[in-house]
Amino acid sequence: MILHITKRELYDNLNSLRFALTTLLLLALMLTNAIGHLHEHPKRIQQYNEAVAESLDLLSSHADDSLYKLAQQGPGKLYKKPSPLHFCAEGGEHLMPNIIEGGSPYVYSTGIIGVWQLKYPDVNINLKRVGPDITKVDWAFIIAYVLSLIALLFTFDAISSDRESGTLRLMLANAVPRHTILIGKFLGALISVSIPFTLAALINLLMISTTSAVHLNIEAWGRLGIICFIALLYTCFFLALGLLVSARVQRSAVSLVILLLIWVTFVVFMPGPLASIASEFSSSMSADEKWARYSQRQEEIWDKYNYVAWSDEVDRKTLTAKRAFFTEKAEMIERLNQEYLTSQIAQVQHARSITHFSPAILLQHLLESFAGTGFERHSQFVENVERYARQYREFVVDIDRSDPESLHIIGVREGMTKRKVSPAAVPKFEDTLSLSKDFNTAAVDLLLLTLFVIVLLSGAYLAFVRVEV
Amino acid sequence: MLTTLIRRELLDNLMTFRFAAAVLIMLLLVVATTTVLIKDYERRLASYDTAIKKHRQEMLEQTTYSAARLRIDRPPNPLSIFNVGLDKRLGNTLGVNHFFVPTLWDARKHGADNPFLNLFSSIDLVFIFQGILSLLALVFAYDTIAGEREHGTLRLVLTHPVRRGQVLFAKYISGMICLLIPLLMCILLVLIMLTTSASVFLSADDFLRIGGVVFTSFVYLSLFYLIGMLISAATHRTGTALMLAMFVWGFLVLVYPNMILTAIKTEPHPDTQISTYNRIKQIWEEFERDRLQYLANDPVPGEKWDFSLRGKGYTFRGLRHYPSALRYHDITGFHYKTLEAESEPQVPHLQNYHRFLGTQVTNTAERMWLVRKPALDALYTQPAKMEQMLLKFSPVGLYDAATEAWTGTDLNGLQDFFTAIQRYHQAVINYYLDKKIFESRLWFVGAENEIDWDLLPQFSFTRSDIGINAKRAFPDLCLLLMINLVLFVIIFLIFVRSEV
Repeated sequence: MILHITKRELYDNLNSLRFALTTLLLLALMLTNAIGHLHEHPKRIQQYNEAVAESLDLLSSHADDSLYKLAQQGPGKLYKKPSPLHFCAEGGEHLMPNIIEGGSPYVYSTGIIGVWQLKYPDVNINLKRVGPDITKVDWAFIIAYVLSLIALLFTFDAISSDRESGTLRLMLANAVPRHTILIGKFLGALISVSIPFTLAALINLLMISTTSAVHLNIEAWGRLGIICFIALLYTCFFLALGLLVSARVQRSAVSLVILLLIWVTFVVFMPGPLASIASEFSSSMSADEKWARYSQRQEEIWDKYNYVAWSDEVDRKTLTAKRAFFTEKAEMIERLNQEYLTSQIAQVQHARSITHFSPAILLQHLLESFAGTGFERHSQFVENVERYARQYREFVVDIDRSDPESLHIIGVREGMTKRKVSPAAVPKFEDTLSLSKDFNTAAVDLLLLTLFVIVLLSGAYLAFVRVEV
Repeated sequence: MLTTLIRRELLDNLMTFRFAAAVLIMLLLVVATTTVLIKDYERRLASYDTAIKKHRQEMLEQTTYSAARLRIDRPPNPLSIFNVGLDKRLGNTLGVNHFFVPTLWDARKHGADNPFLNLFSSIDLVFIFQGILSLLALVFAYDTIAGEREHGTLRLVLTHPVRRGQVLFAKYISGMICLLIPLLMCILLVLIMLTTSASVFLSADDFLRIGGVVFTSFVYLSLFYLIGMLISAATHRTGTALMLAMFVWGFLVLVYPNMILTAIKTEPHPDTQISTYNRIKQIWEEFERDRLQYLANDPVPGEKWDFSLRGKGYTFRGLRHYPSALRYHDITGFHYKTLEAESEPQVPHLQNYHRFLGTQVTNTAERMWLVRKPALDALYTQPAKMEQMLLKFSPVGLYDAATEAWTGTDLNGLQDFFTAIQRYHQAVINYYLDKKIFESRLWFVGAENEIDWDLLPQFSFTRSDIGINAKRAFPDLCLLLMINLVLFVIIFLIFVRSEV
């Protein structure tokens, strides 16, 4: 029986104006998305490859020089690997820094150079662009805004119009349980929304995958599968909402007004003000504060060690003091940079978790995590870099330890081994994405979305069961 | 007769659920966002105040003219609550130096905020009106004609001796009144909140500007109402009309503005930047040649730029280059508190050198500006204007541009501020030349508080007056009005010729 009702609903929908318009709209959006991606992604990849090659060249030239050079100059610039699924969710990637610098040792004077530390660049806000703000047309936008609106347009009259025209009474006169009708209607609407979406998405993927510029591997396809599933779940959310309101309200025009107002409030307007309110609750270290702390600690270290900085002695005591001076300073800067970044990230995390009240933002975050872009991805990149930095430091210490003639004072030329280091042995940074990690971060969001869908569906069921025809 | 028709329509509309819901939701949203926006404005104002204090302190700490740190901070615009435009996004602090002409593209942000917060979209009142008013207008309009045709009441009305134009006009007027009520209520609420908040000061002109925003909103609203009526007149069933209206809304408001800018790239030619930057570099290399020649020709042996000055303090000299802002210059700074006795004979030579250098640097900066100005326009302003124009194919873009012009947060409004800084820059240079500061001893050595920094010209800026705002908003407003008129004529033609 469910099948029968679903089929009827489907035929009704397929012949309607809204189906045609939906197909057109989604196709246009997906095509724009694919063209934009094909235009930009190869450039991104090329930039990344060139930058990484340059950085690796520098690293091996340092390795050729000596172990001391490696300990002093650090691993160089470390780049974030662009995700091939960038077209699914842009996630503010243009704002996110795509590089962390492991280098820039402090130069005290010619010949006296400290050791490297990690330096996190600020968010790159383009202060020079004076054009209008652009929201990228990515899958997240298409699904969060357009598909949700379409889902509402397919369900706002599902029950109320049947009641208005009296067909509902006819249907219930047959021995059909109410939940069958509801499920039938739900499935019918779901399939009729999915058809244009799937069509558009397939054409989009076809365009993207057939060109050689973008390479999608098995994992990327798996991620795409998950993204499509999330899109379906999100569509279910709005279909259920539509059914719920449609069952409660007598006239379909009223039902549409209510739905539109809910949609506008939750999808379009909530995210901005909520984030703004949430960021008020917690505060982060400001750049001015960071500089104030920096100069204070810098003076402390300077007072402690200035006797040794200009000394030319090469006895063990002076060298050890020099080592302590260099490393303490580098550690101080690195720690301060980390504190600064962590406090900023914490504030943003806080604001992000509060904006989850909006289903559109929930979807945005889910898509970002699975597309490997956005804020979570950036935190992952930072983690990767920090892990690599530890590995790199251990490598330098290990190589130095293997030479019995060395004084094992890292960071000072006279205190380190003079043996050659083979460039191939130096650990290289490879930015990786891990699906299981992404899944972990997204699990809560995913569960939340599923919960919303279940609550709304049962709400719709209850409303429909109790309604008088 | 017209009044009877209007009254009937009005009552019909006012008694509906959609009217109540519209008023309620609009008020809720507007109150919530205004609170957030006022908070946000207060925060920006506070960070502006701290920046001003900090920069003044930094200036007072300097003891020589060559180390002068003149920084101008841009205050937030209180009308950015209505349309934030570029007010929040662009740089808000800018150094004024004699070696380059300051522009919008040299400005930076004073560091008080968490830059990661830029990930969240910022909203303003116009954004709310833009989305929700247009939606409401369509919801009110989609069944005005199609609905009556379906019910058969239209036929009844037309059996009376009324002209079709009158019926149409009555429908338009009554619908607009219904939509104006929530709009005006919102605006009044916002005004109450703004005037009672302690931090926002609005001048009489500002109220007129807000009036301009309200008028533009009204015209925008009317445009969408007319689109709704057009759909209603052209279709026979309300269901079809509703679907069409919703898709038109989705396309115009949601899809088109985002899609067009992704589809059409307005990047300038990549060579513009490189070639201009090279020319600028050349200009400074010429300057460097002249400078070295001067040093070679002067009576002092050796070509050291600091004439081997020794004293308490330090000096620095360096080249600064910012390819993306097309800026390249050389900066020299002396931070001496006192000089050693054996350096004293060098001072007159150094003064002569800086008399030469000061004018040379300002002239070179002037030459750089001549090359830079058109290039910056081509690189940044023209693509931006092109993008704005593309957006204007949707009424949303027109509405946004017009309200931006009223509030003064558009590119022109911000350029006014930076033009004022350029004038100030010129005034400072004139002051330096007048008082012979480049060649004075205080250029490179000075004790604590020897310079009275308050004697320098002071920067002041007043926002352009309302007439200029109106002039800038005029073209877009006119276009909106014209579309209104055209739509009305089309609806009239369709309605007159349609069978009931």
